[in-house]
Amino acid sequence: MSKSHSQIDPRGPRFGAAITSVLVLITFFLALDASTSALAFSLFAYVWVAFLWGVLFGNAKHPYGWLFRKFVRPRLQAAKELEDSRPPRFAQLVGLFVASVGFALAFAGVESGIAIAAAAVFMASFLNSAFNYCLGCQMYLGLRRIGIIRG
Amino acid sequence: MNINFEIRIILVAVVVLAALVAGLVWRSRTGRSKKVSNGGQIDLAELGATKNGQPVTAFGERLTFLQFSSEFCSQCVQTARVYKDLEQHSEGILHIEVDITNRLDLAKKYNILQTPTTLVLDASGRVTSRIGGTAKEQTIKDEIGHFNI
Repeated sequence: MSKSHSQIDPRGPRFGAAITSVLVLITFFLALDASTSALAFSLFAYVWVAFLWGVLFGNAKHPYGWLFRKFVRPRLQAAKELEDSRPPRFAQLVGLFVASVGFALAFAGVESGIAIAAAAVFMASFLNSAFNYCLGCQMYLGLRRIGIIRG
Repeated sequence: MNINFEIRIILVAVVVLAALVAGLVWRSRTGRSKKVSNGGQIDLAELGATKNGQPVTAFGERLTFLQFSSEFCSQCVQTARVYKDLEQHSEGILHIEVDITNRLDLAKKYNILQTPTTLVLDASGRVTSRIGGTAKEQTIKDEIGHFNI
């Protein structure tokens, strides 16, 4: 493992995941009814853009990362240890993929596409923020082994 | 879709509950050790493990924590820190970390799906147990206890 990658406060990505989990839970609720499905679509589009931002620029340059540094970290004790910035970025990529599948299903005429994808994103982001579940630890090797990701 | 307001609220609650249960189950299961009976012999040359730039040629005198890590794994770093600390403060414990991101042959051979995964080896390099995920404090104490350290 190369040690040259940037280090971040591990609580930053968990804070971002908490925001995401609330937004996608609202998305899920709104997507279940025809009268609010357009709203769900817009909210999920915002979540998609936020994931894309995280994938392209990393958590440190993400608006949630900025919110964390500005408002949350000053109230917390100093981080016991910093972590590699790449695992949370991998999680953003997984989120982007799942959200994209939701839109693809919706455009293909699957009415519940957004609701299903929002529920899936909620599971992952909630586990990440509440239980410190690390998608990269659990999924990366498995995806490599079945050949979906190449090194 | 047109679903009653009450049903929609219930569906939201079900999703939250499912996530909560999944999290609790995962937390209770991860980091525990499983006994390996008839554990295979680890071949250090095959692992290609290095420590401080030097190839590892011997196992720990009492036990070895063989940790498999990968890229994109935040918990691998924390786990390595715990084992390194043990290694420094206890006699006969060796920690070896192998990055298997590009060693899928090893991942397949040892059936590793998540990282970190730790194999606990006895003095002769035989696998005695296996820990998936970040080892719990009690798990490590138990493992060390088995070797009477």
